[in-house]
Amino acid sequence: MDHLTRLENKSIYIIREAYYQFKEIAMLWSVGKDSTTLLWLCRKAFFGHIPFPIIHIDTGYKFPEMYQFRDERAKEWNLNLLIGKNEEKLKEGMGPNQGSKLDCCNELKTNALKMVIKKLNLKAILLGIRRDEHGIRAKERYFSPRDSQFKWDYENQPAELWDQYQSTVEEEEHFRIHPLLHFTEFDIWDYVKREKLPIVPLYFSKNGKRFRSIGCVTCCSPIDSEAKNIEEIVEEIRISKTSERSGRAQDKENIYTMQKLRALGYM
Amino acid sequence: MKLFKGKEKKGFIIGIDGVPYSLLTTYIKNDIMPNLKKILNDGLAFHQMNASIPDISSVSWTSFNTGVNPGEHGIYGFTDLKPDSYSLYFPNSKDIQAPPFWEILGKTNQKTSPLCQDYCNKISHPCRSIIFNVPHTYPASPMNGILVSGFVAIDLKKATFPESAYAYLHSIDYLIDVEAEKAKEDKAAFMKSLFECFEIRKKAISHFLAEESWDLFFACITETDRLHHFFFDATMDKENIYHESFLRFYREVDQFIKYLYEQYRKRCPEKGFFMILSDHGFAPVKKEVYINRFLEEKGFLVLKDRGNFYERIEPHTKAFNLDPCRIYVHGEDAYPRGTVKKEEKTALLEEIKKSLRGLRGENGDEIIDKIYEKEEIYHGPHTRMAPDLVCLPRDGYDLKGSLEKKEVFGDNIFKGMHTWHDAFCILPENINFLKKPSVESLTEHILQYFTQ
Repeated sequence: MDHLTRLENKSIYIIREAYYQFKEIAMLWSVGKDSTTLLWLCRKAFFGHIPFPIIHIDTGYKFPEMYQFRDERAKEWNLNLLIGKNEEKLKEGMGPNQGSKLDCCNELKTNALKMVIKKLNLKAILLGIRRDEHGIRAKERYFSPRDSQFKWDYENQPAELWDQYQSTVEEEEHFRIHPLLHFTEFDIWDYVKREKLPIVPLYFSKNGKRFRSIGCVTCCSPIDSEAKNIEEIVEEIRISKTSERSGRAQDKENIYTMQKLRALGYM
Repeated sequence: MKLFKGKEKKGFIIGIDGVPYSLLTTYIKNDIMPNLKKILNDGLAFHQMNASIPDISSVSWTSFNTGVNPGEHGIYGFTDLKPDSYSLYFPNSKDIQAPPFWEILGKTNQKTSPLCQDYCNKISHPCRSIIFNVPHTYPASPMNGILVSGFVAIDLKKATFPESAYAYLHSIDYLIDVEAEKAKEDKAAFMKSLFECFEIRKKAISHFLAEESWDLFFACITETDRLHHFFFDATMDKENIYHESFLRFYREVDQFIKYLYEQYRKRCPEKGFFMILSDHGFAPVKKEVYINRFLEEKGFLVLKDRGNFYERIEPHTKAFNLDPCRIYVHGEDAYPRGTVKKEEKTALLEEIKKSLRGLRGENGDEIIDKIYEKEEIYHGPHTRMAPDLVCLPRDGYDLKGSLEKKEVFGDNIFKGMHTWHDAFCILPENINFLKKPSVESLTEHILQYFTQ
């Protein structure tokens, strides 16, 4: 079995296991490359008919290309697509230029998700996070419990040996399930290429720039790149992997520093 | 025998972040800290002390560590703007332009300062130091001994020198700091985590103290500062639900000081150098005061709606503020969109000072206590990057650098604010000060002791 097939099998096993364990389950789709890959794997796991809702948390500030892609795929793949929005805060004018970006993310993403989870009484959600994204994610589990405050107690997690996943849940908790944990950024692009997966065109180079990750218009900036198609992106990532990560590590340190200073009122 | 004289010397320094002289005096009197009271009778003197200006940990500890003022060491806050730009960055240990005393004593300093020049030739043998949890030492630089950085350290590996120290800390699940974010959601849980964090800090300090050799040991306790930020209203108020926990924390600090003092005495029965200090004081907060909003209302600052932090500054801006109250003139020679001409600066500063002096609280209270122009308080090659004005508030009014406020006054979850005038130091009683000591004036006495 080749590398990508092995990754795919493992993910599909986890997706099916999750659906078997939890009736109240949904998948979170940001429309980016990772969660679109996860969506593709869910389709494969259930032979094209995903038996649970797909949730898109809409901050109202996403790229137009993303909305278009979302709606086209939802129709083409016959998805039970639900849109989660923090209408109240949006009405109050919350946005990236109103207040801090951290507050904006917190209200329009985290709290919007909290509302959806509560409304649908979800016990588990599938997410497309990868272990190589951040240092802290190295400690993540495939089945990762969260408390009612969304807190992740990473010091108190069940072991996951021989594909045995712990999935009992307290009243106030829900599970985050991460079927893509073992994929790297490179694996994702390689898989997208192999599967000929449709992807938001923002990832492809236009006038010498392309987006490496996509989200809200105001909080994303493109990188210098000439990669105009999947093949060229795969090649670019193969070569530039290390420098790309070191840049991200510094960004991440700055974000943590900012959070720490903020929590004590220094910013 | 003279050859070995230096080896017999032992220096021991305990830093307790944010502990005010006045509170410590009261707690000694009220028998909350009986062990400290006993230690004070052992040839030590207890002084009230001024912190650095501004009175925040990164500046104050750096002033203590280097023994020079910010004009020499170049650190003015937790945040700063990159030269000739509006982009915010977080200065770290690599931005400090003067060597800390442990590098001078260990003969490993890469940089120099007037204090360093005075003493570096007098050191007969390099001292081995253990520097533990001192703020603003991240990332850890190679030195003679062991260094574990304190706040704001992010990655424990980068916070530790040498790597063997990391292996130990990792094995005990060491915590660099409590998660202050927790306090917002659950104060009781946050209080609990302060005790837990202090426990692990004590464990690590005791380990290095017992297992490693050292000439100089310097460890900081950060939890007191966090305790004060969120619970300072509980210091004396018996009705406050956190009062007992607050006192219990101080009792634990007292116990730990006793333990450290005994350990120090065991290794150095006589003629050692023992010191305890804080980097600033604390007082209860009445209101937060948003200086940038004030500058906006007075027409000195114009911000556009979009953009990141200081990128929002418009060309007609005359001045802006960085946390807590560091006011910079938007000079045409210093910033890309700067418009204030050199010859206009003096008049502008006078105008801003006048406005600030007129700032009043709800019941007519004066807010600003002291205003300094940079030349009055900073000296040295890095005065150029200093704020043009720095203010110190009256106790109760916490000056802030936020750019996002729509009112000049506001409330927050914080119960305590830093004070400049009420830090403390405890050091050998034969050391005399002609005037009230300041945090950077202590360092020379450490160097003196080791070079006598």
